[in-house]
This record gives sequence, structure tokens and C-alpha cells, in this order.
Amino acid sequence: MLERLRHPWSDRRAELVLGAVACSVAGAIALMIAFVAVGAWPTFAHNGLSWLGAGGNPETQIGNMLHTGPHPPAVAYHLRAWPLIYGTLLTAGLALVFGLAFALLAAVFLVEFAPAAVRRVLSPVVRLLAGVPSVIYGLLGVLVLAPFVGNHVISPAEKRSVQYVVQLDGTGLAVAVVVLTVMITPIMVALIADALSEVPAAWREGAVALGVNPLRATLAVSLRAIRPAIVAAGAFACARAVGEAVMLAMVSGSDAFSPKPWDGVPFLFEPLLTLAASIFRNAEGLSAPAVRSSVDAFALLLLFSAFVLSLGSYLVKLPLRRHHAGLR
Amino acid sequence: MNAFPEALPVKAPRPRRSSLRSWRWGDRLFYVLAWASGLALCLIAGALVLYMLVRGLQYVSPSLIFSRPRAEVNQAQIGGFLDPLLGTLLLVAIGVVLATPVGVASAVWIVEYGQGRVGRRLARVVESSVEIVAGTPDIVIAIFALTLFQLGAFSFLSFTASGGGVYGRSFLTAGAAISLLAIPPVFLATRDGLEALPGHQREGAFALGKTRVATIRRVLLPGVRPNIATGVTLGMGRIIGDTAIVFLLLGVGASERIEPQSGPAGLNVLRGTGSTLTSYIYSNSPAGEGAAPQKAYAAAFVLLAMVLALNAAAGFISGRGRSGRMSFGDRVRYGAWA
Amino acid sequence: MKRIRRLSAALTLSGVMGTVAPVAALAASVITISGATASAPLVTLLAQKYVKTHPHQVKFKIAQGGTNVGIADVAAGRVSMADVSRDPLPSDPSGLVFNPIARYFVCVVTNRSNPLANLTEAQAQAIFTGKVREWGQVPGSSAHGTIDLVSRTSAAGVLTTFQTLLLGNKSVSQVASQEPSEGLLQQKVQSDPNAIGFLSDYFALKGVNPVGFNGVGCSLANAESGQYPGVAHFYEVTRGPASGAAKAFIGWIQASPVARKIITSAWLPLH
Repeated sequence: MLERLRHPWSDRRAELVLGAVACSVAGAIALMIAFVAVGAWPTFAHNGLSWLGAGGNPETQIGNMLHTGPHPPAVAYHLRAWPLIYGTLLTAGLALVFGLAFALLAAVFLVEFAPAAVRRVLSPVVRLLAGVPSVIYGLLGVLVLAPFVGNHVISPAEKRSVQYVVQLDGTGLAVAVVVLTVMITPIMVALIADALSEVPAAWREGAVALGVNPLRATLAVSLRAIRPAIVAAGAFACARAVGEAVMLAMVSGSDAFSPKPWDGVPFLFEPLLTLAASIFRNAEGLSAPAVRSSVDAFALLLLFSAFVLSLGSYLVKLPLRRHHAGLR
Repeated sequence: MNAFPEALPVKAPRPRRSSLRSWRWGDRLFYVLAWASGLALCLIAGALVLYMLVRGLQYVSPSLIFSRPRAEVNQAQIGGFLDPLLGTLLLVAIGVVLATPVGVASAVWIVEYGQGRVGRRLARVVESSVEIVAGTPDIVIAIFALTLFQLGAFSFLSFTASGGGVYGRSFLTAGAAISLLAIPPVFLATRDGLEALPGHQREGAFALGKTRVATIRRVLLPGVRPNIATGVTLGMGRIIGDTAIVFLLLGVGASERIEPQSGPAGLNVLRGTGSTLTSYIYSNSPAGEGAAPQKAYAAAFVLLAMVLALNAAAGFISGRGRSGRMSFGDRVRYGAWA
Repeated sequence: MKRIRRLSAALTLSGVMGTVAPVAALAASVITISGATASAPLVTLLAQKYVKTHPHQVKFKIAQGGTNVGIADVAAGRVSMADVSRDPLPSDPSGLVFNPIARYFVCVVTNRSNPLANLTEAQAQAIFTGKVREWGQVPGSSAHGTIDLVSRTSAAGVLTTFQTLLLGNKSVSQVASQEPSEGLLQQKVQSDPNAIGFLSDYFALKGVNPVGFNGVGCSLANAESGQYPGVAHFYEVTRGPASGAAKAFIGWIQASPVARKIITSAWLPLH
């Protein structure tokens, strides 16, 4: 039989087979979206729009769904997912803002000011950091950073000020945002630095020739020129931050609490939980249909956000494309 | 008219580096911030690398690498991570074996056959879905795969317990799910390589009377071998680093050892459960049950060494390829930032 | 050349699997278990012994997740039986059969640096419901500052048992941090000098300080004699009456002297 397969194929057969393989990829993705969407429908149907609202602790609500059996009553689907959505927005947003600012400055440094020796060492190191598995970041966060914050940064007075509402132990918003920022910045640095070095030298030199100092030339000319790349880097890093499950489950405190900015300094240390981390923590309870529906709903939200991010970055880059024909 | 007196040609004056004093305030601030960020980057990167190096070397030993995990009360002292290491290698093998043909075949189809009204539309759909996969969080893929493989139709991939429940967790199911992560790098690298091949190669082959299939097989594919290799290496990097899919689909918590099911040798391991370095690190961190941070550090060190080696290999392979060194932007577009 | 490459790849793969795959087992039925983290050590020991004394008959796959995860799994038919560490609740799915296999007891625990000897019921209730939040207000403790309450997630059977037996049916405060397993709760209490929590006896008697209740120390002897109030049952829950390999295993646990010896090593037998 193998011999028959080894005989030269006709173009038609090859086209069909290869096309089938290619379409199977598209089919698998469509299947994934369908599975998740169909699975998520019951929880949306039972909760309506207030599914997105606040009202209690979603982890407790999911925990109560566990022993409702194979045919749960409608009340079993009760869920208010706002703390999880808020946690995701908070950590990803803060990490993106800090990371982007830091990455822009560091990329400018790398391309402009770094001595050649430093650049030779730092470039591969940054690429290495971009490829480190997230569980290792989580390990360092939970073994080094969280105990340090818990024992040396949080003061007993701060703990006392929120002690009737929540417990502070080191894992929480600050550690989560710091580790997430450290995780997504190397990617952005590498992307932006690469894009900066691809800007035609003539553009910058023209600005310098007109009397602009070198830094301003970089800022005014090169950074403006690579705006599509910056948007792409930001979108990519944001997608990674939103989808990060394991690392955040280790360092974010794993309590579906909404950190309150008006608490003052304790706000930085309050625990939280994100959508992806919640999926991760509840993955064992999928036998209960209510849990499965809620988890599918979180997954649908994550898929939706990934889609929105890529669409958004495409739309943002569209007007920029007119001006930057040569650059991606 | 010459406004200047005759003079010998003078060397162009070397541009004086504009002193900081002549800059605007905003530029000066930016300058300081840029230097601060750069130094901070060096410090953080250096601290991370050095810390992992120190901790890893402190705890790694050949006995750890080559002994199997043992479920003892005194977790910290006993047992190594041979099984998780083998689990990682096995999972990478399965993922690559599944992802490479699919990625290469899809790319070949899109570039060579995706013409015509229907073909072009289908090609856009396939490209969009690959992009969607590249952007999907791995936890979503894991949830989808878990619910899919717990259906009765897929019980051959894992096993069915007495009571009727399909377990849904095994190396095969985890490998199938994780291959989805490796498909985008292979696909995009192959596609870029095929599009970069000069048209005259194809035209020459057609002129000599070869069919499209034969051209692909004998002319084009060998030409993009470096691209395929780069894509596969990047995909391997993504597979090695993934935790969520392994956690959900390989059954951590059950055991760290590779536990084969019943069946013919080979298939029984594939249908059985086990662990990988990533889930082993998680289990032995304070977030998991192990409470053995030394083993976690040692495993993290080995994992980092593997990632570093793959990084270097990818860079080396892409450097040898026709298209020259691949920029980081290309790597990221392939959905593999490693 | 290609064939050599293919052959060597196949050899490597089989070599990798060969180093870890023992001789192919004969067709054996598989018992999958999930559920309580409190009874997992006991069930693991029992399963290991059962496999040794009944070779080639069954294989076990033991997962955890918490009592309610086990109940959900067994009600959905996803596992053969569930480890459960609490008594049946009216809200449990119908059709489940609770087979008792052993007894255990629940202790309040503190960090070893805080050798709290005893709590009355009123004190325990005040602390765990969140009325009292400062160690200074707890007589007999040497810790200072905020009380760090450590509890379990709502999947836990030990939580239900603790609330019913030692807290007078009151609920643990929402302030408490919720750990998904006994082991993690134990770790938390071990590493935090200001922590207080509750554990089943297997975990409570190592690494942490067990606290007496109403004047009775939390120990195996006191639980055996009936003086300590926090005693409950471990169950194996099946969907419908146990059948097949699961029935044989449960029957063996309940009847065999070998199993009884394992149970009495750290827990209480049924009678």
C-alpha cells in the first residue's frame, strides 16, 4: 500500500489532500469556538447581562455549583463575574502601561546610547528573557518576591486597616503586576528595538543635519516611523498578559476580590483573580455542568478579547500604513 | 560667482556631539529616563539570569536528573525528575510529529494551490484561523481539548474507567492539543519561505514538464528546509514552555511519574499519564503540593537550558537560511516569541 | 539516507518509552477516584496495598480536587468512585451511595511558633467567623498582630465537617484565604507565624501545632476514646450501589485486617 502512495500523485489529488489538511486547521479552530460558545450559552442565558456585573465572590459562586449534580436547577448558574473581569483589566492594563513605557525607553537606549559591547550582550539576553516559560516567572514570584513583599513591605498597620475585609500576605496586585511587566517587557523591547534599527538611517540623519539633537531625532522621526510596530508590540504583549493563567494563579493571591483603589496603600497588596487564572483553578470541577458553563464563558471572553486585540491593532495600523509604506 | 576665497580642500569637520546643555528640558529628561531604563533592564536581566543560574547550580545534580520521582513523605530530599524530563521530550516529539505535516501542508497549499476564486477565499480563512490560534491563550485551547477528548468518541486516545467516564487525559490528548501551539510557527515560516523562493525555480521546473506536485516535492520543499526547521524549532520552544495544557490534559496531581495504560508497548505510554518539567515545577512550588523548592529550581534550570539551546538553534538555522537572519518581529509574527 | 533517519527516529522514540514502560500489563480494569484531599493519603496507601495483594486485577488512578469535585465527578459518571470527607448533604445529587471506610478527626492548628494550647467553642467561633481579628485578644497565644485565617475552598468536605462539628454550624468568614487542598493549608500555616486554620488529623499532627478544643487535646487517643468532639467519616461514594471492581475494593477496605492495619496507623477504624 505504501508503494501505491509513493507513486507520483496527480496535481488534482495533491490539491485536494493538501487543501483538506489546510481546511482541517480552520475546522479545528471553528470547532473550538463553537464548543466554547455553545458551552457558555447556559450561564449567559440564566444570568443575562448581570453576568458581567458585580455581586459577591465568583470563586465562592463557582464552588457552590460543584455539588449540584448533572441536572442543576436554574439558580445554580448564578454568577457575577465582574471581579474577575476587573482583575484581568487591572493587571493587564497596568502591566501594559508600565511595560510599554519601560520598553520604549529601553529600546531607545539599546539602539541609541548603549555601547556596542553592551548591545551585543543585551540583545540575546533580552531574546532569552522573552522565551522563558511563564511558570519560571511564577516560581520566582512566589518564592522570592511574594515572601519579600509579605514580610518586609506590608506593615502590620496596613494589614490591620483591611483586616475585616481581606487578608494581605504578599501575593496580590503589586507582585502580579511586577512579574507580569517583567514577563511582557522583553518581547516589546526586542520588537521595538528591531523596528528602530530598521528605520532607514537617512531619515534620522536628515533630521540631525537640520540641527536636531540625536535623541530628539530618534524620538521625532524613528519612533513616529515605527508606530505600527509599537502598536503591534503593545497588542501582542497585551494578548499575552490577558491570557496568562498559571503565573497569575501562583502570585496574584487567588482570591476573586476587587482591589479597591480608595483603600490607599493596601490597594497595592490586595489579592485578586483574573479570568484565565480562574479557569485554571476551576479546571478540576468541569463535571458539574454549571461549572463547565461558567468556565466556558470565561474562555469565550478570553477568545473575544484576543480577537478584539488583533482586530484593534489592525485598525490602528491602517491609517498609519499610508505614511509608512516601507515599514511593517 | 565664487563667494569664498580660493582655499585648499579641507577635511569635513567631525560633527561635535551636541552637549547635553544645549538640549531642551524634555529631551534631557528623556535622556536620563532612557539611560535609567537601559540600566534597569541590564540589572533585571542580569539578576534574573544570575539568580536562576546560582539556584540551579546549587540544586541540580546528575542524581536528580536521572532518578525517578518518588512519592515519599519527605518530599524535599528524595526523588528526581527523570519522568518529567522524559515527559517533556515525549510531548515535544508528539507535538512536532503532529504539527509539522499539518503546518507544511497547509502552507504549501496556500502558496501553490490557493488560486482561483474559491481557493483564494479559503486561503484567507485558513490564514485567519492560524492567526487566531497564534493569539489564543493556551488555557482556552486546554479547556477545549479537555472537553473534546472526554467525549466517548475519543476514548481510544486515553482510557475509559469502570463507571463509564472517559478519562480524557493522556500524552496523546495533551500532544494533540499542544500541537495547535506549534502549527502557527511552522505554517508561517514555511509560507514565508515559499513566497520568498524566486519564481524562476518554479517556471524552470514547469518548463521541463514536471507537474506541480513533483515541483513541490523535488524543488520547493528542499529549498525551504531551513525555514521549516526554524519554524519547527520555534514551535518546540513554545511546546516546552507551556504549562496550562500540560496541567489540564496530562493530569498533574495524579502522579509525577509516567504511568502507562494497558495495551501494546509504546501505545500504553502514549495513552497513559505523566508529567512534564513545567508541571513538575508548578507542583513543587509553594503553589502546588510538593513544597520542595530545591527540586523546582533544579528543574527550572534544566528547562531554561533547553529553552536557551532551542533559541540558539533557531537563530543558527535561520542564519544559515537563504533569507538570512530572521528578525525578532518575524519570530513574533510566527506566534513563537522564544 | 532518509530511511536511516526515519529508523533512528523510531528507535529513539521507542528507546525513550522503553526506559519507562514496564512490561505491558494484562488487561485490567481501571478504578478512577477523585475527591477529598484529606482522605487521599489513606486511599493511596490502601490502593497500593490492594494492588500488591491482588496483582493484575485493577489499576488505580487517584486524583483529588476536593470533596465536591469528587461528588460532581461521580454523579456525572466521570470516575468510578469519589473520596468524600463529609456526611451526605440534602443538596447532593440523588442516586449516590455513601460507603463509609474509616473515621478521622479535625483539629484547629496554628504555627509552631504560636503554641496555643486550647480554644473554647466560643473562642473558636469568634476567631473563625471573623469577629476577633487580633491575636492580642486571644488568651494563651504568643503571636502579635492580625490573625491570618486560613480555610479551604468550598469544594472541601473538611470545611463542612469543621463548621458542623466545631463551629456550631456557623460559616467561616469570607476574609479567610481559601486553600484548595489540605497540603496547601498546612503549608500556609507552617510558613506564617500569625496563621490559624483547621486540618484533618493526618496533616494536623505534623509540622503544625494542634490546638485543643474545649479542654480536650486534639490527638488520636482522645479521638478514639470519644472525648474529642470533631470526629467524622471518610466515605467512598458511588453512583448507585457499588459494583464490579469498585465493590470489591470497598469490600476489601471494610473487611480485610490488612486494610484495618493501614487505617489504624494514622486514622480511626469504623468501629
